[in-house]
Amino acid sequence: MKYDFAVIGAGPAGYIAAKKAASAGKKVLLVEKSKLGGVCLNEGCVPSKTLLQAAKTYHHAKHGSIFGVEVDGVTFDYPKAHEHKNNVMNKMRDGIAGLMKKYKVDVLEGEAKLLPNSKVEINEETYEATDILLCTGSSPAIPPIPGVDLDHVVDSTGILERESLPNHLVVVGGGVIGCEFACMHASVGVPVTVLEAMPEICPNLDAEVSASLREGLSKKGVTFKLGAKVEYISSDKVTYLDDSGSNDLEADLVLVATGRRPNTKNLGLEEIGLDIDNRGGVRVDDRGATNIPGLWAAGDVTGQAWLAHAASRMAEVVVNNITGRKDHMRYDSMPAVVYTSPEVAVVGLTKEEAEERGIKVKVGRIPMTINARYIAENPDETGFCKVVLEADSRKLLGVHMVGGACSEMIFGATAMLETELREEEIEEIVFPHPTTSEIIKDVFMAVR
Amino acid sequence: MATPVIMPRQGQSVESCILTEWKVKQGDSVSEGDVLAVIETDKASFDLESTASGKVLELFWEADDDVPVLANVLVIGEDGENVEEFRPAGGGASVPDVSSSPDATVTEAPSSVVESSIPTTASAPISSNEVPLGGISAGVSPRARKLAFRHGMDPETLEGSGPNGRVIERDVEAVISGRPRLSASAVSKARDGMEPPIRGKGLAGMALASDMREPGAIEGAKVEQVKGIRKLVAERMIQSLQTSAQLTLNAHFELTKAQAYRKERVDGGKSKVSINDLIAYAQIQALGAHAELNAHFLGDRFAVFEKVHLGIAVDSPRGLMVPVVKDASDLSLEALSTEIKKLAIACREGTIQPDDLSGGSCTLTNLGMLGVSTFTPVLNVPEVAILGVGGIELKPKRTESGDIEYAEFLPLSLTIDHQAVDGAPAARFLQTLVTLLEENPGQQLSITNE
Repeated sequence: MKYDFAVIGAGPAGYIAAKKAASAGKKVLLVEKSKLGGVCLNEGCVPSKTLLQAAKTYHHAKHGSIFGVEVDGVTFDYPKAHEHKNNVMNKMRDGIAGLMKKYKVDVLEGEAKLLPNSKVEINEETYEATDILLCTGSSPAIPPIPGVDLDHVVDSTGILERESLPNHLVVVGGGVIGCEFACMHASVGVPVTVLEAMPEICPNLDAEVSASLREGLSKKGVTFKLGAKVEYISSDKVTYLDDSGSNDLEADLVLVATGRRPNTKNLGLEEIGLDIDNRGGVRVDDRGATNIPGLWAAGDVTGQAWLAHAASRMAEVVVNNITGRKDHMRYDSMPAVVYTSPEVAVVGLTKEEAEERGIKVKVGRIPMTINARYIAENPDETGFCKVVLEADSRKLLGVHMVGGACSEMIFGATAMLETELREEEIEEIVFPHPTTSEIIKDVFMAVR
Repeated sequence: MATPVIMPRQGQSVESCILTEWKVKQGDSVSEGDVLAVIETDKASFDLESTASGKVLELFWEADDDVPVLANVLVIGEDGENVEEFRPAGGGASVPDVSSSPDATVTEAPSSVVESSIPTTASAPISSNEVPLGGISAGVSPRARKLAFRHGMDPETLEGSGPNGRVIERDVEAVISGRPRLSASAVSKARDGMEPPIRGKGLAGMALASDMREPGAIEGAKVEQVKGIRKLVAERMIQSLQTSAQLTLNAHFELTKAQAYRKERVDGGKSKVSINDLIAYAQIQALGAHAELNAHFLGDRFAVFEKVHLGIAVDSPRGLMVPVVKDASDLSLEALSTEIKKLAIACREGTIQPDDLSGGSCTLTNLGMLGVSTFTPVLNVPEVAILGVGGIELKPKRTESGDIEYAEFLPLSLTIDHQAVDGAPAARFLQTLVTLLEENPGQQLSITNE
């Protein structure tokens, strides 16, 4: 069979690419070895956010007294939350299947193996395509800690499959994934300890943002051990080493969330001579082109960004280039969110990143608690908004927020970055009052 | 396959060239490298060489036509091949002569007729069998190319709407009218006089501040204004090559005695002198004996100098400088050596006085220490001679006893202005110089030929 475009992997890169190429008139084949929607829909973003919302609802019910809402006997039915999560996933998967049908994309279940000359082998059949997009995603990277293969040690995929809550959760790795699961469990009353080997959690974020997030989660009941190196895991304990020496933590569930690695195995990549970078990702240029003509890659398999929305955008860029529209990735305006309570939402450069590039910057920072809507809705929470500006032009370079549901307003900052707005233009934008988003306008008062 | 030969680009400012004479006619067989025509700009005349082999299928222009650079001039190929797709829009010879129409009001006719004739004539042969493969450009029409260059655009990057994606004038116009949207920060750069590229790196091609470039910027290159010494050198060099008839004569001299002389000096407790000092000294002596080379050529007059004012080419951080040792012929070898050193240091340190950079009568330039074996010096006009020195070479020589042995030699290259000096007197000067350096290095020449 000959196709215009074959897409390997039906995650947020794959199905977006398939739909977009098909709507541009291409004959498209979409291959998925497991479930439509990829990690994002089945093992990541969507199920975790569903459970986080369940936990948030429980937390609100428990802590409504400040609003005058008193509820007795609040309980958390985890299997029920699970059911909701599964319903959401089924609905979304059906949605993708419907979309593929609507756009006449041929969907095949099976494992793909790339062959030379723009060919792919799927279920022992060979298919040919003018262009092929490799978007096979990533898997949790499990460090070689003794005891890591015990039954009660899970990764982010495994923890989502469990239908009961643990008595004491230990999270190895204080990155985004670790923090979200820690938050979810702590919100429903599970004692949680996060072990982070670095001196601060989420080390890729602005340092003040990371510290603020840690404080916010601590208030929710998460215990953080920083600079803590896990030595081994036994059936009921996690042993770690920090400045104070060797310590034990009781744990009936251990989540290992120490990062992800690109899925590049068993795809025939080596045989066709595909260029893999030293971190294990498929090497691509800013259009998503690999070293092999006609073979493109997008999403986690490239080892870049590790974000579902980045994967979708990379896929769009590839399809645009295939269909004759010039396009390329712009990572400097790629938003990132941690869906904890409080949430973290950032886009653009941190002060340190800008200075590393030799840009002279000005920084403004303002607490969320100056915002009327924010304190009305989040009486217990703190958080802040921070902007980084280019000193001379007052051009916006980055926005970094902690607090409330700031994920819902970061796109505004993204649009400002994409259009290179400066302070003087932003000043003229009207923000509805009272909204938390006003913080993005008000923060400029604090720039110095 | 039919191949067009284009009018080459002769420098940045040249937009067209006059085709002064055809050297071939339709039907002639030519090979790659054959001269097809003589073309000229306002500065020079040159040959248009063939870039392909085959039969001349069609000449698109007539003698004395002003042909835009990069336009197709003629087509070379095999009998029976279609040339229409290569016909330039504004072409002369075989284009339907609409301009001679009695209806003189139809002034726009030639361009529109020619432009619109491309699809109808070109579509037939191309669609039959030779459909260009994807990725092979169907080319750019000459009118589109001319318009694009005027607006600082690369027409090759545009998507063409002509036959098989050929870029035609309207594609360029579309881009000019629809220059990319500018981001807020890019607009402020535009107000400072910077220009956007055809397509920016922002949203849907929006030009970002980092995309904005100085007018005249070239992708992938750092562009800066020519100024200061570079500008002066550029002007002097082009003036030199355009106003004089430069001829270079090469000779070698054996270094053995010069080296021995230097060693003797040091052994005898005298100041150290360099080989370059010895050559400068010998050059001054030889110029005394061949005064016609110690002169300026001023078009209708000669100025033959009484004394030698020796220019020394110096590589300074700011570029090439030529400080002048005034009245060099009055100086002893030691004084000359000191003076050269002093001037060179002043050039390198940037403390040289403007007066020390003019008034030379003849020049010495030495690239030997930079590993150059030999080179053609460019005259420091209106001087009529410049002496170049290359790097040491080991060469065989015959000794008095008839044996062959190796010795060190230095190459000398003397450029003269043939307007002012003939080859033979220049050769005699070189002979004097070589003899001095080989036999009496560091010595004064007793002038006998009065």
